[in-house]
Parts: sequence; structure tokens; C-alpha cells
Amino acid sequence: MVKLFKAVIFKGYVVLLMIFTVWYGYFMYPLVFGFEGKEQAAVSLKEMGEGVSDKERMFANMILETSKKSRIDLDYRVIDQPYIEGRFHHIGFEMEQDNASNCVLCHGNVPHDKSKEVRSFLNMHAFYTACETCHIRPEDKNEKIEFRWYDKDTGERTENPVALVEIEKAYAHIEGASYPTYGNYGAKIAPGVIEGGGFRFLHSNEDKAFVERYLAEEKVLSQKQKSQMKKLMHSGINKKPIECDQCHQEKNPYIPFAELGYPPRRVDELINTSVVGMIDKYKEFYIPNFLTPGDQPPED
Amino acid sequence: MSKKYQAIVEKDGVRYFHRFSSHQRVQHVVLFTSVITLALTGFPLRHAEEAWARPLYDFMGGTEIAPLIHRAAGTVLLALFVYHTAYWMIRFYREHVVKLRERGELTVGSFFRELFSLEMVPNKKDLVDIIQLWKYLFYFTNRPPRHDRMSWREKFDYFAPYWGIPILGPAGAALWWRDEISHVVPGIVLNAAYIMHTDEALLAVLFLFFVHWYNVHYAPEKFPAATVWLTGYLNEHDMIHEHYNEYVRVMIENGLEDEIKPQNFGGEEYEW
Amino acid sequence: MKNIRPAYFVKFLLTIISFVLITPEIYAADELNCVLCHKHRGLSRIDENGEFRLFYINQELFESGPHRRNKCKDCHTDIDRIPHKPAKKVDCAQQCHIVEPSGNKKFSHKNIAETLAKSVHGKLDENGEPKKYAEDYPDCKSCHDQPLYRPFSFYKGKKEPGISKRSISRCKSCHTDGNFAEDFYEHVTTRLHKSRYSVETIEVCAKCHQDKAFRERHELDDVITSYKETFHGKMVILGSERTPDCIDCHVVAGENAHLIEGQDTPTSAVHKNNVSTTCRSSGCHEKAAAQLASFQTHVTYDREKYPMQFYMLIFFKALMAVILYFFLTLIFFELLRRLFPKFSFFKEKKAENYEQVISEIKEEADSKSRATGKNGGHHE
Repeated sequence: MVKLFKAVIFKGYVVLLMIFTVWYGYFMYPLVFGFEGKEQAAVSLKEMGEGVSDKERMFANMILETSKKSRIDLDYRVIDQPYIEGRFHHIGFEMEQDNASNCVLCHGNVPHDKSKEVRSFLNMHAFYTACETCHIRPEDKNEKIEFRWYDKDTGERTENPVALVEIEKAYAHIEGASYPTYGNYGAKIAPGVIEGGGFRFLHSNEDKAFVERYLAEEKVLSQKQKSQMKKLMHSGINKKPIECDQCHQEKNPYIPFAELGYPPRRVDELINTSVVGMIDKYKEFYIPNFLTPGDQPPED
Repeated sequence: MSKKYQAIVEKDGVRYFHRFSSHQRVQHVVLFTSVITLALTGFPLRHAEEAWARPLYDFMGGTEIAPLIHRAAGTVLLALFVYHTAYWMIRFYREHVVKLRERGELTVGSFFRELFSLEMVPNKKDLVDIIQLWKYLFYFTNRPPRHDRMSWREKFDYFAPYWGIPILGPAGAALWWRDEISHVVPGIVLNAAYIMHTDEALLAVLFLFFVHWYNVHYAPEKFPAATVWLTGYLNEHDMIHEHYNEYVRVMIENGLEDEIKPQNFGGEEYEW
Repeated sequence: MKNIRPAYFVKFLLTIISFVLITPEIYAADELNCVLCHKHRGLSRIDENGEFRLFYINQELFESGPHRRNKCKDCHTDIDRIPHKPAKKVDCAQQCHIVEPSGNKKFSHKNIAETLAKSVHGKLDENGEPKKYAEDYPDCKSCHDQPLYRPFSFYKGKKEPGISKRSISRCKSCHTDGNFAEDFYEHVTTRLHKSRYSVETIEVCAKCHQDKAFRERHELDDVITSYKETFHGKMVILGSERTPDCIDCHVVAGENAHLIEGQDTPTSAVHKNNVSTTCRSSGCHEKAAAQLASFQTHVTYDREKYPMQFYMLIFFKALMAVILYFFLTLIFFELLRRLFPKFSFFKEKKAENYEQVISEIKEEADSKSRATGKNGGHHE
């Protein structure tokens, strides 16, 4: 018995060593033969960017760019940030992704493009507000809409973000509070309804699974099916979204900022002073209907 | 040498055969200590772009200290090379040349004959052993080769550094004293020295850390480590397996002819 | 940062708050209250070329560099109100409203732009005509992003990154007004060493010089890879600040770092007549002879250009391959033999075999002892 056991260990060890030998040969190969290996690996990615047309090249570059990072070492601190071609000012943080939203699966996280003058603002809101907050109108459903934060990473409901609450500290110049940062809460405001005593977001994992399934099978779907499914997926989306001054107004803002953890001074800015003043300036500067993006002629 | 060390000692009923004198063992320790130090301070630099390079180099002292350690270890290794060369030459003189002269047989021919019959010099028997080994490995025979005192693999292990150090050492020294040497040779020599130093180092390290370590560490009958480099004595089992001719010879010389064991055939030698 | 310039920090906060709550006062960088919007991290869009444009300004980082004394409008001159249309490209060579303290003149990067235009990186050739592929040639932003201070402190002979209160207190005892002491201190200490790590410098050059399509257009070697093959490059990658990066060899000692000239320009640091001077600059290979310059730095292992290196490499690679793969194969088969130790196509008989060895060895010993007249002597 002991002998058999020994024999098994022996043979097992020998086989392991054989695997190790083969691995070593494989491991050695680039060291022995390939002084060009590294350069080629770096270049082969670049070669994708050498398509015939400018568009092809840009397309390839965009695919590549996701991996580009910039790191600055100042000795007393290190700044890690994404590399954005042509950008001069520092970002100083990694752009977080929204893993919970099903809209971003197709539309990305910089979705607004139609209304040229305000698209950056709309994208800015998309950083901390779920799409359905503005793009689903409650009056259609006759439901009482409530708002809560969800964690961008996990998609779970979370408490009011600490970073948001702490803006107040920056106002009060409490030692240790950094520059106030806006929108960087790692969370988004999303609408939901009270159901059976509990809160339920309007978006659901079911919807997300649906979209994911669609994307996975897109290649094999017929063109007719695609149109049908798109219609279905976008049901409930209102052509005319919530407008700027429905939230940024003093009397009855659509989103209850204070309940969502906004500190009083910030609430005041949002519904009363600076932001509202800004919107008024915008109305003067651009033609008024830019502020009601839904009025744009429909895309399709 | 053989006067100081008994050819065979017996301990706990196991016979041990003398292989290396303490002098040789100390040289081996100096050799591998300096080589490992050189590898640890040299390879992070050679592969500076790999992820492991920076932490290892910082651990070895960083860009200020590690080069100093590398150069110190290199100096030790070169000194060992010189020392070892003197060592075998003196021994050769004392143990061979002097004896030849005493017998009045010292000629150019006999000098070289003696030189080439030194135990480390490759000879015809090695070729026979290599062929026998491959026959054995491809299952054409059940008899492993019968090595003399030094098998061809040990000779290769010996000559690898003996060829490597004269390449690595002077190249390394040239790169170290680059400013001074530029008064003697043009800068392009440093290009050559760079390739010699880095590529020969790679060969040495890849060889040592796999082939040599296989021979003395990984091989099933050695795992986890052979002890002969510490004790200088090899047990009977391994002696039969690795140096059968030598084994028989030593046994006969020591009057133990009746107790000579047969050569292990067909796997018996691999029993644990 | 927060512990470093408390006074400045509080002042900045007050400024921000004053913008937000009170009517903006024209005092510091943000007279138009640009950060009201640009402090938002999501302020972004995709432009007409499909490029991602992020309009977020990280105030803290903006405040960490020499440009903190500039107002947004100093560079983005075409913006005069909020909201604004897409801004024009910034011209770094324009005068800004900062007064340069040594000459009391308004500050400008114009002379840098002029130097760059003269260098090998200038867009125009000596006749004022655009060079071939002029769009490939760099402008300021190709190599620079927002500069950041990299200050350090000396206290009791110890150099430490960042500003310590002890260090700056020496300035602050006299220069109490405003942020003068902080600005000056950070500026000077940053300039006392390189404001970029060598690794960062190499990355900057690599952006173009390692790009294959770019190199083919301009018929250039991959100098980045060949640099990284040298001890200079390797030491830099491992964090050495004492080994040369691109700038150190390609700019004549004492010259403006923006004046990089081609190999064929007689004044260039890398012109064949000047290489030996460049190598032997102070702090480098001072003690070397002029012939050190025949060292080839950017070796590409190209057979025609670098035959010696090419053949040496082939020799060593062949040697390595033969030796290592021979032994690897041997070990593999040796292990395989151990898996089936008893098997063999042909078998030798054990007993006969070892008797034969004994008799052979006896014979050998006898012949030796006959020859030498003594016994044994097999030892070395």
C-alpha cells in the first residue's frame, strides 16, 4: 500500500516536472528568439489603426483608446487618470461606469447629442441621474414617483451619498474637506414607486437581461424582429422629457433635492439662485426651445 | 587530496563515496552566491520593463546601490575564476608534472597526455555515454550509461561558467569602466560588450536555473536538494546510478570487490 | 495638498463661495464663475469628429500648477460671457495678464513657440514652406498638459517632496502678502529639478516616435525601443534620475529644451561632430575620450545598418537555442523514461553485464600499474 502510494506520488511528480519542462521551453522561447517580440506586440495593435480611410483609422483608435492611461508622479502624490487625446487640463480621477443602467448598454454614457447647445449639460446630468428620471413621465402612468440613489457599481439602492452630504463641509470651510466636487457620488438618482410598503425602481434587472439578450442575439435576428424588439424596449419612454425648469424651480421641484441628501445651500443653488440664473441666461443666449430638448424633430 | 579524505566512509550502514574536497566545496559556494547575486541585481535591469523588475531592483538596493552590489559580486566571481584557474594548475603541477619529472618521463607529449586525461576534460568515453543515454531514453536498451568519476553532464556544468565568465567578466568590466576604457578602444566596443554581457548572462541564468537545478534539485531522486555540495560525499545508491564505473573502481581499490552491487537496471534506481 | 497651503486653500474656498452666494467679485482665477458648470464631472459630449470631449476642470489640480494665477479668460480669450459657444483653440504664444516679475513685462510663451519653430519639430522648413506631413509636427499640447508643481522642502539637510511649513516659513516671515511666497516657493523648487520624470519624458516622445505609421511616413527608426534597450533607458525605467533621457542628449547643454535639432544640423547635439562633446558633458562621461562617441545608442539590430550587433546577436541566440533546447529535450525524455522504467525494446542481462565491468576495470588498472609501476592513481 505504502509502495503504491509512493509510486503514485513519484509518477505524479515526474509528470509535473515534464509539464514544467515544456512550460520552460515555451517561457524561454521569446527570451531566446524574440527581441522583436515586444515591439511587434505593441505595433500590432497600432496596425489596426492603419485602415484605408480616416474613419477606419479613427474607429480603430477609439477601440484602442480605452486602454490608454496617464500617470503623473509628483513625488508627494500620484495622479492616475484616463488619457484623452488633446486634453490639456487634468482630470485627476478614473471615469466610473454605470453597471446598473440598461440604456447605456446601447447608448453609452455620453448619450445626448441632438440639442447642440445643451448636450454637454444633459450629459453632465446623466453622470448622476438615471435616464428614466427625465425620460419617463409619471403623469402617463398615474403613479406616484419617488426618487432614490442607486450605486453605479453594484446597481443596488444606497443611502444618500456621503460625498454629496459633505459638500456642506466645504462650504463651511471645515479643515480636511477638499474642494467641493459635484456629480462624483458613485451613485445616480433614479425614479421608482412604492409598492407593498417597499420601494421599487422603475428600471429592473429583468429589463437589463432583456437588453443583454437582445444584444447577444442581434446578429441572428431578422430585420423585422429588430424593429419590433426596439419598439418594445423603448415602450414607456416619453418623447418629451422632463425639462430643466421642472426641477430647477423654487416652488415645486420635480426632484426633492433635500430628501435626496443635498445640503441646504446646494438646494438653494439648484432651485433658487445660481443654477436658475444660469438657465435664465441660457434662455437669453440661445433660442428658448433649446431648453426643451424633446421638442426637437424626432430622429427616426 | 585523497590522502586527506577517505574514499569511502560508512555511516548508519550506508556507504558514502568521496566527491569533492572542502576546498572545492567552498569555491562552489562562492560561485553560486556571487552568481545568484549577479542575477538578482542584473536581470531586473535587463528586463526593466517587466512588472517584477522595479520591485526586485528596489529590493536589491535600487538604481544607486544595486549596481554597486552587482559590480562587487562580479569582482568576486572574476577573482574566483582566476583563483580556480591557479588552483587546478598548481594541483596539476604538483600531482602530475612533478611525478612525471620524478620518473623522468616529462616530455611535451606526456605533459599534454596527462593534461587531457584530467577528470574534467571531455573525452571519448563521454561520447559513448551520450549515445548510450539516448539509446536508453528511447527505450532501445534497459541499461543506463556507466559514467566515470565525472559524467559528461558534470563536465558541461563545469565548463559552462568556465566559458561564460571570460565572456561576461571582461565585458562587464568594460561597461563598468566605460569612460576609462574609451581611451584605449572606441565606443563601439561597448556595444559589443553590451551584447556579450546581457546575452551570455541570459544563457547562463536560463541554463543554471533549469538544467543545473534540475540535476541537483528538481530531479525526483534529488528533490528537494542534493547534499553532495555540502558534505562532499555521495551515497552508494546515487553513486551506482550516476558513476557506476567509478563506483566499481573505488570498491576494487578499497578491497571491497566482493560487495560490489550490480548496476541498477530498468527503473530500480528510481525507487524512493 | 490640503495641509500644505491652508491660507491659500481657505481663500480659494471663500472665492468659490463668494461666486456662488454673492455676486462675483473680480479677484481670482474664475471671474466669470466658469466652475459653476465646469466643476461637474459629467460635463462632456462627443464632438463632430467622434472625439470624446470632457469639459470638467479639476480645480484642485488646476490650483497645483503655475497656471493657477491665470484666469480662465487669459487663455480662453474668446469667451466673454456665460453661456458660451464652443471655445477656440488656445494660443499659448499670446500674452497673458500675468506680469513676469523679473522684467515687469507681460508674460508669454512666445519665445518657446519661436524656438520650437526653429527646431527639427517646426512645421515650416528653412524657406518658410510647410514641411511634408506638416500636420504630424507637434504643437504645445502634443507634449504638454497642464503643468503641475513638483515642489520639495529642505529641512535639516533632508530633501522631501511637497512643501513643509518649516520650509516656507522662511519666506513667509517677510512676504506676508497674498500667495506670493507659496507661488514663488513652489515655482522655484519645482524648477530646481526636472519638472517631469525621465520616464514621462520618454512617454511624451514615444507618442509619435514609437508610432509605426508615423515612423514610416517620416522614415525614422524606432528610437524609443532602441533607447529602452540601452542601459540609459533601462535605468530610467527603473526610476533612476541620474541617467539621461531623450532631452539630455538631444539638446545642447545650456540650450532651451525645445531646441531639438536633427542629426544633419551642424549645431545639433547629435551631429557627428558634436556627439563626443555631448557624451562628455559635465555630470555624464566626463572622463571619457572622444572616441566614446562611436558607441551606437539607437541600435535596431538591422543587418545593414548594424552588422556587428546583428551577427553577434545571431551567434548568441543560436548558441542559446542549441544548448538550452538540447538539454530541455534531454530532460523531457529522461522524465518520460522514468514513467515506464521497466520497459525496453532490447534488454541486456544484468549479471553478465556487471561482471564484465569489473573485469574491464581490473584490466585497466593492471595495465596502468604495469605502465607506471604503481597502483591506482586514477585521481586527478
